[in-house]
Amino acid sequence: MPRASSPRMSQGPSRRRFLTTGAALTSAALAGPALTGCGATSGGTPIELTFWTWAPGIEDVVDLWNQQNPDVQVVVSRQDAGDAAVTKLLTAVRAGNGAPDVVQAEYQAITSLASADAIADISADLTPQTRDRFAEGIWSNVNLQGESIYAIPQDTGPLQFYYRADVFEELGLSAPETWDDYAEAARTINAADPEMFLGTFSNADPGLFVGLAQQAGASWWQIDGEHWSVAIDEEPTQRVARFWGELVEEGVIDNEPMYTPQWNTALNNGTQVGWVSAVWAPGVLSGNAGSTEGNWQMAPLPQWEAGEEATGNWGGSSTAVTTQTRHRDAAVRFAEWLNTSTDAVQALVTESGVFPADQVESEQALTEPPEFFSHQEDFYELSTSNAESVRPFTFGPNVNVTYSLFNDAFAQATQSRSAEAFTDAITTLQEGTVADLENQGYVLS
Amino acid sequence: MTAAMTTTSDTLDRPSAAAPAVRDGGRPSSAGRPTRSGVERPSLLATGILLLGALYCLLPVVWVLIAASKSPDELFSTFSLAPSTHLVDNIRDLFTYRDGLFFRWAGNTVLYAVGGALASTVVSAAAGYGLAKFAFRGKKLLFNLILAGVLLPAVILAVPQYLLFAQMGLANTYWAVFLPSILNPYGIYLARIYAGASIPTEMIEAARTDGAGELRIFGQFAIPMMLPGLVTVFLFQFVGIWNNYMLPYIMLGDDELFPITVGLSTLMNQGASQPAMYTTVITGALVSIIPLIALFLILQRYWQTDLTAGAVKS
Amino acid sequence: MTTATTSLTRRSNRFAYVLIAPAALCFALFLAIPILYAIFISFRREIVVGLGLGEGGRTEIWAGLGNYTAVLSDPEFLASAGRVLLYGCVLVPVMLGLALLFALLLDSRRARVRSFARIAIFLPYAVPAVISSVLWGFLYLPGTSPFHHIADALGGGLPDVLSPSLVLLAIANIGIWGGTGFNMVVLYTSLKSVPSELYEAATLDGCTEIQIATRIKVPMILPSLIMTAVFSIIATLQVFAEPMLLRPLTNSISTTWSPLMRIYRDAFIQNDIYIASAGSVLVALATFVISFGFLRLVRGQAFAQEER
Repeated sequence: MPRASSPRMSQGPSRRRFLTTGAALTSAALAGPALTGCGATSGGTPIELTFWTWAPGIEDVVDLWNQQNPDVQVVVSRQDAGDAAVTKLLTAVRAGNGAPDVVQAEYQAITSLASADAIADISADLTPQTRDRFAEGIWSNVNLQGESIYAIPQDTGPLQFYYRADVFEELGLSAPETWDDYAEAARTINAADPEMFLGTFSNADPGLFVGLAQQAGASWWQIDGEHWSVAIDEEPTQRVARFWGELVEEGVIDNEPMYTPQWNTALNNGTQVGWVSAVWAPGVLSGNAGSTEGNWQMAPLPQWEAGEEATGNWGGSSTAVTTQTRHRDAAVRFAEWLNTSTDAVQALVTESGVFPADQVESEQALTEPPEFFSHQEDFYELSTSNAESVRPFTFGPNVNVTYSLFNDAFAQATQSRSAEAFTDAITTLQEGTVADLENQGYVLS
Repeated sequence: MTAAMTTTSDTLDRPSAAAPAVRDGGRPSSAGRPTRSGVERPSLLATGILLLGALYCLLPVVWVLIAASKSPDELFSTFSLAPSTHLVDNIRDLFTYRDGLFFRWAGNTVLYAVGGALASTVVSAAAGYGLAKFAFRGKKLLFNLILAGVLLPAVILAVPQYLLFAQMGLANTYWAVFLPSILNPYGIYLARIYAGASIPTEMIEAARTDGAGELRIFGQFAIPMMLPGLVTVFLFQFVGIWNNYMLPYIMLGDDELFPITVGLSTLMNQGASQPAMYTTVITGALVSIIPLIALFLILQRYWQTDLTAGAVKS
Repeated sequence: MTTATTSLTRRSNRFAYVLIAPAALCFALFLAIPILYAIFISFRREIVVGLGLGEGGRTEIWAGLGNYTAVLSDPEFLASAGRVLLYGCVLVPVMLGLALLFALLLDSRRARVRSFARIAIFLPYAVPAVISSVLWGFLYLPGTSPFHHIADALGGGLPDVLSPSLVLLAIANIGIWGGTGFNMVVLYTSLKSVPSELYEAATLDGCTEIQIATRIKVPMILPSLIMTAVFSIIATLQVFAEPMLLRPLTNSISTTWSPLMRIYRDAFIQNDIYIASAGSVLVALATFVISFGFLRLVRGQAFAQEER
């Protein structure tokens, strides 16, 4: 079995909702559900909070809280990650009972959950300093409609670029600073060996594409006063789609989905020599490209203009308080503690292996580079500075519809290997997203 | 029947074994069959086709056996049909995965499939006996409803069943998978045929005359006479539950409650970011089909039932 | 079918209700109520107010036939129905054709290794579709497929069966693999119950074994063939696990490849239980229409045989 807890586990895009059921396999989370051990209280019945989560090793973090807070005991209920947890929560809300007090929520699900009245606006209950701990880009995911705040960020996945330093050196390449450099490097690599690619465009990972569009300045949904608007088919996203579509059309970037046995093989045998991914990538690479250890290097994401510092986010999750809780205050306190206290953030790093969203605490918590990148001393320093440059992005209430559209529209586009099909797919996304919102009764501005 | 259905469905759509009694494989008058000159000349073509068919069917099983002997690195690098020496390691990895979660899945599968099929067989036997041997109001309506239920794809029920169970707070519990498995319209239909064909009405009359209670007649006379047919009902439902993927997939969130099928598919998804899991999935597939294959071979004769006999009788 | 009615006492009549009760209760709880509930919510929908955030952001209203027209007018839904029909047109004839061929060969005295072949071909029935999809998935991937390894070694190449043009066959193959053996056993059993006197005259008249098979044996087991066909058709309409499990391996399978995958997506990914219920009701109706229609079509055939 591979390394200890991988951040990818808890941060992965929701399509691989099962990842984290098994996530605990890597960590010692299996210690199991015996987490009530420390609840001895001196007087009165303690408040009991239920916490739906899928982060590996989270039980150990929660134990810390339970020891420190005898009057508010948190019980972890382990869930399937992503969409499955959202569906369960929505069903509980629809049924009027059965929801927990605190839930883990992926960023792209927050608006859907808020719109179903499943999670509460906790802006009034938050400690004022809390906001200052987080980068603006990530805060924009939990802060909707003026001052409403629906969750506290837990971990993030700033996009960065991973490449095989040995291959780059051999071919006389250096880490690309701009996307033009990236395209050049892709051509050089493919010319050196037609079987070798710098990357692939995956129709199965809308989360990554959103991150890339986010870097380019897109925000697919927007709130204008009392109305939503959809801004997918606009310049930034079109630019990203055209860029990748042209590379795929040229044949210098592969068109197969990521996270398949084929892709793993390609990373392992050196036919995929680069990966645009997020901060949690080392965990994945050590698992599926173990034989390439020591050859990878991480660099900031290539920029659209030389000298810029912008990136997007892929994965990560937050902690929200449900509308059904009867202990809202205690639930908010716990959510704040979990994501902003020194003890908890440190424990999240060591037990769950996450890249914390809290910038104040993460600096002390992230001292050693991840094992697979032990040769890159500044791994977390660099990642932290990348995390600060994540641009704002608002997720709308029908992200899942848009993501399904993405899967299917880009499946066709990647197969046709034409740049035009890529930009057409963006139009499909825009139209499908708008039609779905209108069908739900939204009046768009 | 088709694997397509096996997943998605209950036994409803399994082709039927509607024979009043299980045949033991004897041809009605094979003794008198002419053989002209004793043994006929073997046909190479016929033998060849059968061997090809057998090869086609065995190939994936052979592959899984070989693949389960490979280490994760070898899985994608060595020739597919070249065995290796890591079978024991892989089995140990599988069994120790998350403190033996695989055993839990195996136990759950047995609980769902054996428990559900047993409960279903009892319910079907009672209903079948009642429908075959008694007259009561609403009998015809009930039987027609059950016939309609036979044709209804069970999967269609999964979504509304999930919503109702969620509202009752039963989603994500053992009950969510176990309870819906008890109802098997096809089993009721079969049990009715078996009861009609195998229990002489005179015998029931005689027992009544002797003063036996209805419950005793059912338990001591009817059930034993229907038994061979009930084994078939049990097997159909057993396979139906064991193959049913969508119901547990939808109903269960907690992986401690998963049956093997759903458990292995989650591991398969994990393989995406942890290729070492693929070896575990393959080993899990091997370990879980071996007992099932053994069971099938042992109980083979119960599958050899005549499809149409029942349809004719009804 | 029985004549017990006349002599039944009132007491034993009441016992009938005891016998029926558990089944009737299960029927109501796990079949009737869910169906009625699905029908109910298929006529409902949720609409939002303003930004749709927070309490009162959504209300449930009557949708009339809106969900049904939405599903039926969605070209993707029609496309998925078309794919599944095509899939059925491949799967059912090939699977039943193979099952019939093997059953006839097993019944023929001239084939050798019959008991080995019977067990080997029946074996896949013991493998759940989830597991067989995983196995075939690996056999399809060039990296782990012996076919590709052998073809590469011989210097040739094999087409990628998971490519858009072939993926339907790749999925159908899994169904054929899993279903042929069971149907073979059903047909073989049926063949064995045909009285052999029927062939005696033909054999003496010098008919070849192939003639006996096509002119005597196949017509005799036609009812069995029809029933296996009905159940196979119902099964194809429900294809779900195979494409669902192959999907992560390829971009040729969309999230709405089959109608059931679409229902699953609507209900559990997009959380639109209203549309999902309408889809469920439509698939159930289609199943009824097709299976009853098929039965009606062949009814004369199936029952004519019984009057001999």
